[in-house]
Amino acid sequence: MSLDFTLVFRALVFPGFSFIVLLTFLCDWVERKIEARMQNRMGPTYTGPAGILQPFADFVKLLAKEDMVPRNTRSVVFKLTPVLSFSMFVFAMFFLPIDGSNVILNSSFQGDLIFVLALVSVANFFLFLSGWSSSNPYSEIGATRVLTQFLGYDIPLSILAFGPALLASGLSISTIAANQRIPFALLLPWAFILFIIALQAELEKDPFDVPHAETEIVGGYETEYSGRRLAFLKLAKDVQIVLGAVLVVELFLAGPYGPVFLGIPEFWYTLWFILKVLLVVVITEYLTCIFARLRIDQVLVVNWRVLMPLSILSLATAAGVAFWL
Amino acid sequence: MTTVDQEILTTLGNKLGEKMLQTPTPQLGKVSVRVNAGVHRDALKILLEKDESAGISAITGVDLGENIEIMYHIRTLGTIVTIRTQVPKKDPRIKTITDILPGANFHEREVADLFGITFEGHPDPGRLVLSEDWPKDLFPLRKDAEITDIENKKENITALGESEQSSDKGVLTTVIMGPQHPALIEPEKFSLKVDGEIVKEVKPRIGYVHRGIEKAAEKRTYLQDVYLVERICGICNACHATCFCQAVEAIMGTEAPVRAKYLRTIVLELNRIQSHMLLLGHAGLEIGYEPFFQYMWRDREIAMDTMESLTGNRVIASFVTIGGVRRDLKEERIPKIKAGLATLKRRMVFYKNLLDGDPTLKMRTKGVGVLERQDALKLCVVGPVARGSDVKMDVRKDEPYAAYDKIPFKMISYSEGDSWARLMVRLDEINESIDILNFALDNLPTGPYRVRVPRIVPAGEAISRVEAPRGELFYYVKSNGTAYPERVKMRTPTFANILSFAHIAEGGNIADVPASFVSLDPCFSCTDR
Amino acid sequence: MAKKIKLSPMLKEVVSQIFRVPATQKYPAVRPKVPEGLRGKQIFDINLCISCGLCASDCPAKAIEMVNVEGKKRPLFHLDRCVFCYQCAESCPRNAIKDSGFFELASTNKYDLVIRPEINHEKGSEE
Repeated sequence: MSLDFTLVFRALVFPGFSFIVLLTFLCDWVERKIEARMQNRMGPTYTGPAGILQPFADFVKLLAKEDMVPRNTRSVVFKLTPVLSFSMFVFAMFFLPIDGSNVILNSSFQGDLIFVLALVSVANFFLFLSGWSSSNPYSEIGATRVLTQFLGYDIPLSILAFGPALLASGLSISTIAANQRIPFALLLPWAFILFIIALQAELEKDPFDVPHAETEIVGGYETEYSGRRLAFLKLAKDVQIVLGAVLVVELFLAGPYGPVFLGIPEFWYTLWFILKVLLVVVITEYLTCIFARLRIDQVLVVNWRVLMPLSILSLATAAGVAFWL
Repeated sequence: MTTVDQEILTTLGNKLGEKMLQTPTPQLGKVSVRVNAGVHRDALKILLEKDESAGISAITGVDLGENIEIMYHIRTLGTIVTIRTQVPKKDPRIKTITDILPGANFHEREVADLFGITFEGHPDPGRLVLSEDWPKDLFPLRKDAEITDIENKKENITALGESEQSSDKGVLTTVIMGPQHPALIEPEKFSLKVDGEIVKEVKPRIGYVHRGIEKAAEKRTYLQDVYLVERICGICNACHATCFCQAVEAIMGTEAPVRAKYLRTIVLELNRIQSHMLLLGHAGLEIGYEPFFQYMWRDREIAMDTMESLTGNRVIASFVTIGGVRRDLKEERIPKIKAGLATLKRRMVFYKNLLDGDPTLKMRTKGVGVLERQDALKLCVVGPVARGSDVKMDVRKDEPYAAYDKIPFKMISYSEGDSWARLMVRLDEINESIDILNFALDNLPTGPYRVRVPRIVPAGEAISRVEAPRGELFYYVKSNGTAYPERVKMRTPTFANILSFAHIAEGGNIADVPASFVSLDPCFSCTDR
Repeated sequence: MAKKIKLSPMLKEVVSQIFRVPATQKYPAVRPKVPEGLRGKQIFDINLCISCGLCASDCPAKAIEMVNVEGKKRPLFHLDRCVFCYQCAESCPRNAIKDSGFFELASTNKYDLVIRPEINHEKGSEE
């Protein structure tokens, strides 16, 4: 059995695992710098030019720290969930076209949009389990909050994702990304805005910051983790942010496709891809900075009474727009 | 003595009759009566009949050798009435007053801890400022206490903390907002019993930063004590120094010159501005609103730089001394200070619009942590906590000190009683402070800024009150004619307000606990001393 | 339905802050201007001292120790105990203790944190 060199290269180096991790670090740095500038301070400055190596330095520092497993935890679940949720998020990225085609060539199929959304849900469930398996009241409260919030935003998120699918008449993400002569954000602006708000809830950023509110429950589900496991948990959360941004880019902003000047199309596609992802990251960070944190019952009110009806409405209007087109 | 004081004295004399033993010479013109132990409850009831908003300001214990004198300082009608009793050291027992005024709970427990008095009928006796393994028969503030070799005398206790029986409250989890917690700036323990997300019961335990400053003050001279009491709290340090110096000046019978009084007012108001800005930023952080926190603290630097140019240091001013202030304010510095104040005033407009207009901020603070006016009076709260619940009390208006009788300003009060009202009180007070500062800088009188005072203070006692940013700060100083004070008692505003926290947190969500807690503006270094 | 919804002023403020210079002081690359009258390291002039010992007895932190130098008692300042209140400068009847305004006193060496009376400490920095 000979291993296909292209497959290994694409899966491990570019645009696979290493590229995704490096993109995560880049997005983390952009997020921290933009947040700092919005708060009129400097952000990471010293590590590397303009502080660009800071997320990498944080990751390496955590890897070197002591890794403690408290006595009363369910240790198998406790030990596995950080790595499991991280790998689920990275695996979900494999189905999104980054340089014009998926990571594993010709692996897209009809319905992989639903597959990706299901993977995201399972990875979130692993985050809940990581808090539930710790024997700490703070972690339990954080874990229950993750689940309560998850029940609220998951359905609107999926419903809103079907809007572009209707417009592109296909449930495969590569089809949706490729069929956008005009980006769907301009054709369905209300769906775009609602999707970003539902994404805020999924990424646990203000105003839906409740599951890991530091000033109330110390660390939420991250409280008992330390060392390598904490490094992977944090990396999982960062990859989740990138995955959310990539989903927005693929569904609403015409994916990696854009004008190609002379040269290799793959290079230009990757460049447009990175720029669009950074744009979405900046938008979500702006939303984070202008709102305070809502209480869990207020989050439920927003999810079920505002997001849900509006997302059903947007699906209906998307059907109408698709028919008209 | 003012007419109000005379009236109170006459009422007490008429109603108590011969139970009122004698009226020692009043100090600072305040009413002070002496009764037998047991009659203090009747005296308190008479005062409450006369004025329903009377509250306990402090309970002081003084070791007189054979007896221990317990003084109840009642704040009523804008003045302080002191009711003194004595209990013998061999049998120190006295009836509690917590059934009449629930706010006296912590005050009595502190005297019980430090002097060994048993308050009969107290609903919740137990250690307050000392740790549970402190030796049982060692009372630190008594004059004959030997505080040596504590390690070997410690009690042997098996279980620290309260019993966890939840009798009729179903299945409750205990979440301990423990001594180390990101929401608290300083360590105190709050045990919350929660049911899902609703808080059913709160038990505070303070005393984690008790440093024994009241005892330390007795072993240093008056001049060294000014620097000691400054370091009780970093945020309101000038208020502590001013209060102590005013008390000592009252015993000596001197007064600071007029220019010194204006300069003291300037540094006190600067303290108030930076303390309120610190709190508003901290409130933003607790609610999860980080940009608000960063902007507020960036603007706070204007006040800190002004403090540095005025006193030589950003935080601990070391500016006020017995007899006046230590440095003068040069004329050429005033324009720069006024420019900084103008910038601050402009920024305050933005923050006021923010607190009025931002939807998520209002969702987190409106209707959260409500303290009704009746409860505020019964729990004897002070400061912006009281003013946010429509209790109009402010020492600067009731009993003006420093230069406050010459400077016009408004007392701010809101009537909603929730966290939003308390934060708005502080925001409006910043605006008022900027106006007071501008007035004082414009009308600074010329003259000396300090008078020389002798090092030995004649025998006597005095009470002094100052409106610190967190509320009424109360000092009682007794001197016995030597260079060292006999007794210095400090009752800080957060100590009086901590009881109300248990009251407003019960019944709300866990998520509301930091939001309502931070609106009380706790400062635990002040609480524990 | 026609009630005017007040937009939070934070929306505009956050965007405008991105384009402003950060408020962070770039210390230690940029040294700040030390305000006049800052209470920093003390300067002790041995020629003015009359060995009265008032500085040591008035110090609230007990940071001054009277030591024997060439037969006379002189003050030794323990800067790790000092709170920089400058009560010593006020109590000195001959004005022998002055303020240098030097505040960068952190050190890994206990020798730096003591002002010895026999050494001339006129310049407060880099010693």
